Amino acid sequence: MSSAALETKDTVAGLGEKYKYGFVTDIEMERAPKGLSEDTVRFISAKKGEPEWMLEWRLAAFRRWLSMTEPKWARVHYPAIDYQNAYYYAAPKNTPLKQSLDEVDPKLLETYKKLGIPLHEQMALAGVAVDAVFDSVSVATTFKDKLNEVGVIFCPMSEAIRDYPELVKKYLGSVVPVTDNFFATLNSAVFSDGTFVYVPKGVRCPMELSTYFRINASETGQFERTIIVADEGSYVSYLEGCTAPKRDENQLHAAVVELVALDNAEIKYSTVQNWYPGDENGLGGIYNFVTKRGDCRGVRSKISWTQVETGSAITWKYPSCILRGDESVGEFYSIAIANNYQQADTGTKMIHLGKNTRSRIISKGISAGKAQNTYRGLVSVYGKAENARNFTQCDSLLIGGECGAHTVPYIESRNPSARIEHEATTSKIAEDQLFYCLQRGLGQEEAVALIVNGFCKEVLQQLPMEFAVEAQKLVGISLEGSVG
Amino acid sequence: MLDIKNLHVAVGGKEILKGLNLRVDAGQVHAIMGPNGSGKSTLSYVLAGRAGYEIIEGSISYHGEDLAALPPEVRAAKGVFLAMQYPVEIPGVTTMMFLKSALNAQRRSRGESEMDAIGILKTVRKKAAALNVSEEMLKRALNVGFSGGEKKRLEILQMALFEPKLAILDETDSGLDIDALRLVAEGVNNLRAPERAMLVITHYQRLLDYIVPDRIHVLANGRIVAEGGKELALELEAKGYEQIVKDAA
Amino acid sequence: MTLALALPTRRVEEWKYSDLARALGDAGFGEASARVSIGAVPAGVEVFDLDEPNRPDWVKAHYGKLGGNAVSAVLLAKARGGIALRVPKGNIIEDVLSLDFAGEGHVRALLVLEEGAALTLSERFDSHETRNVGFEIVLGPNAQLNHVRLSPVSDAVQVEEISLTLARNAVYCGHFANFGAKLSRIELAITLDGEGAEAHLSGVSVLSGDKHADVTTKVTHAVGRTQSTQLFKKVAGGKAQAVYQGKVIVAHGANGADSRQTAKALLLDGRAEADLKPELEIFADDVKCAHGAAVGDLDADSLFYLRARGIPEKEARHLLIHAFLEDALTDIANADLRETIRGAVSTALNEVSA
Repeated sequence: MSSAALETKDTVAGLGEKYKYGFVTDIEMERAPKGLSEDTVRFISAKKGEPEWMLEWRLAAFRRWLSMTEPKWARVHYPAIDYQNAYYYAAPKNTPLKQSLDEVDPKLLETYKKLGIPLHEQMALAGVAVDAVFDSVSVATTFKDKLNEVGVIFCPMSEAIRDYPELVKKYLGSVVPVTDNFFATLNSAVFSDGTFVYVPKGVRCPMELSTYFRINASETGQFERTIIVADEGSYVSYLEGCTAPKRDENQLHAAVVELVALDNAEIKYSTVQNWYPGDENGLGGIYNFVTKRGDCRGVRSKISWTQVETGSAITWKYPSCILRGDESVGEFYSIAIANNYQQADTGTKMIHLGKNTRSRIISKGISAGKAQNTYRGLVSVYGKAENARNFTQCDSLLIGGECGAHTVPYIESRNPSARIEHEATTSKIAEDQLFYCLQRGLGQEEAVALIVNGFCKEVLQQLPMEFAVEAQKLVGISLEGSVG
Repeated sequence: MLDIKNLHVAVGGKEILKGLNLRVDAGQVHAIMGPNGSGKSTLSYVLAGRAGYEIIEGSISYHGEDLAALPPEVRAAKGVFLAMQYPVEIPGVTTMMFLKSALNAQRRSRGESEMDAIGILKTVRKKAAALNVSEEMLKRALNVGFSGGEKKRLEILQMALFEPKLAILDETDSGLDIDALRLVAEGVNNLRAPERAMLVITHYQRLLDYIVPDRIHVLANGRIVAEGGKELALELEAKGYEQIVKDAA
Repeated sequence: MTLALALPTRRVEEWKYSDLARALGDAGFGEASARVSIGAVPAGVEVFDLDEPNRPDWVKAHYGKLGGNAVSAVLLAKARGGIALRVPKGNIIEDVLSLDFAGEGHVRALLVLEEGAALTLSERFDSHETRNVGFEIVLGPNAQLNHVRLSPVSDAVQVEEISLTLARNAVYCGHFANFGAKLSRIELAITLDGEGAEAHLSGVSVLSGDKHADVTTKVTHAVGRTQSTQLFKKVAGGKAQAVYQGKVIVAHGANGADSRQTAKALLLDGRAEADLKPELEIFADDVKCAHGAAVGDLDADSLFYLRARGIPEKEARHLLIHAFLEDALTDIANADLRETIRGAVSTALNEVSA
């Protein structure tokens, strides 16, 4: 097993106990004044030492946001969010511009240790470069040197704005426009950090890139902004993990991720989302309103999304692919588990614009407790997308009679040579499967975890192998207590 | 080892077993024969602890313990193995992975140390070869796309691996051609041991040509209506169930 | 606020692919009343004109109780007259009853099959004039209705909502053959309200020119041990638009619900469009629900096979399109009606591939 995988494995293995990540780190935080106004936006921009163009971009987004309303079409219900009663910027005091790890607050490092994120030099051997975003500020980035050798840029967004303004200007908002949707526009106004990746022409990124996000401060929203650009003929695989401490109030997370793949480039983006889901009674938990979109801009480019969504009180997320380049390929592999009072409305959009474009959607939804789990997906073939192909398989599994599983696919074709195939099933764990496992000595929860993992296999095997092994454990943990 | 007294069992409110008595000692192989609908499968399920099989009267004692009080996985850990008539398919779970999970779950339950993947793999390979279970089968999802013979061979492989004290074989011969039957029977015979009891449930006599029982019990209408040595199977074959049941009445 | 303002645009999710407000324009549906007429009334069927006073109890009990899509409010307010039909308890009607909708404006109908009654209904939609129809169907325990609806090609805006409720062991088989209009929408709201109730829906659409045809279904399994199947096949040429939206809902506790849904479309021209949205909303766990949807071209292998055996391409295509539609036609139980629909399909196919 590569040390990179071991690393990741330890991280997820840490989930062994019920929401182990529900700890709060006691560090002095610096916050923007509560509420949202042009002043808040200016404050954030000033704190980050941003150039004028960036501030103007944010302000334009903010003004636009004022005229927008929250989308209501998703099958999720939550009390109205008071956007004036939250902090939009919270940073550990005095952290920016650290030159080495020794300078970082040891309490922060302690937090990362609990998360299983190593920030030491052994990581070079591990082959994982980690950019850890703690609330709003990127604390420390490792392995820049190794990546620099091949010309890969992997840095906090704030740094990219400072050091690579032309690249940022070129790609920021080019996939998810400022005006895209309520939450994306909000993010555009107040995003505080995130990750920027640029892989130059012909480079195969020498390591898995990995970012961990964590919401620590209370009453704080997290609005990270991530851009990954794969230039012609390049390849990059990116892993993203998310956690948040237990809190009784709901916290907002509205991220935007933009991917751009140029000619013959490939981006693989994997997420294990384990934000705090709230307790057994539905109290607390993260509102996860995320806009993720990839643009297959070049010919024969490929973007592949894999997500394991087990956390958050509410998930509203549709990682999508715009298949613009001829012969480009989009993939979406998803496991969404909703237990207790969780609500998930997640899926994808595959927009076929170019000729001979192909897409594949594999979605596995598991509902338990009193949870509601919706797959919502669009496959749209435009008139010029000759010979476009899509295959969608969308399966739902119900555990217990109090939950809901919903499937809402939109299939639109305007080209006679296109082929779209969609299959969906809904069922419960079969009693005979359960009995067979019990008869062979497996316990009730073990049996459920085993069967559900089998159900999810096609998606799990898209993850880097050893990571998948540990993601299986997460599947089991998420369903604890679901079988009486 | 197994002592069933006056067992009445209902399924969905309907009484299927109506006062069944049966005693099986260690080292013995007993056969339960009976026509369709006589309650053979009900007996096997109630011994393994399947939900929905309600004991309304009587008792099942296993090594002096009340078997009915135990959940199915505890029974399995204590050595009760049911080779099923229709082994269940579990998509996405490889056979090898399943064997490892089940074996270690049983070992944990008994307070034994878990076996590592390599140790299990070695053991399984050795036993698999004897039953003509290929490496490729072990990599496939459990029972998914297996032929009838493959499924049954895999059941016997599990029996060999788990080394149960009480093995119940429910219609293990159904759906097998003669070569597969011989192979399965050989696997079963290799597992006959002084500390192990077996209950072979079958509709037809032909399986008993290969697995020769110490006792035969005829089950009809939820009761044992006739008992005897291995020669009873031949009598059944000659006269048919109807006559035997009538004779017994 | 005038009622006309309530007409849905494509911003309303359920009307996403059918912009009714735009198709109707400023004129709206107007205030007129359309007509409904019946052919020979078979013995054992009762008819009541909704214009008449002193409605009998069975009309009072069932009229105006079902339905509720976006245009129902308009309909209820404006429709005058219409027809109510009843097949009393245990009457099994051998002859086909025909029901024709014609004229411009709004109209309503009610059909009640009491316990154990059986009927075959042939519904025709006159191709002229803009029309908005509300049709309520009530099936009592063990009742059985075979329903075949034919709407020929039209230049008008034609909308119909059929609301159906089924008591225990009632069986409904509906076939919907639709050849398009400026905007054509048939909406089926079916509630399986008693154990053992079954609804089997099938339909074909063959569209050419700039025609539009929308079949929208909502099947609610309100109780357990209910069954629904759907099979819809669509062929679109020219600049036509074929729409299928099918929602299956299994209510909380409706264990043993069994539902299958299939929608397939073939596009024959670069400007044609197909929009399919099969939807599942499941609130019970012991269910078997599945749906499949596909849009595509004719199977290249089959086409090659036929041509290799000497069948010219055009003919081979024709053959395969027929075959594609055929399995949705075989579900029509009544042989005469099946032949009628087959004939209409053939005529439309000649148009589309000409």
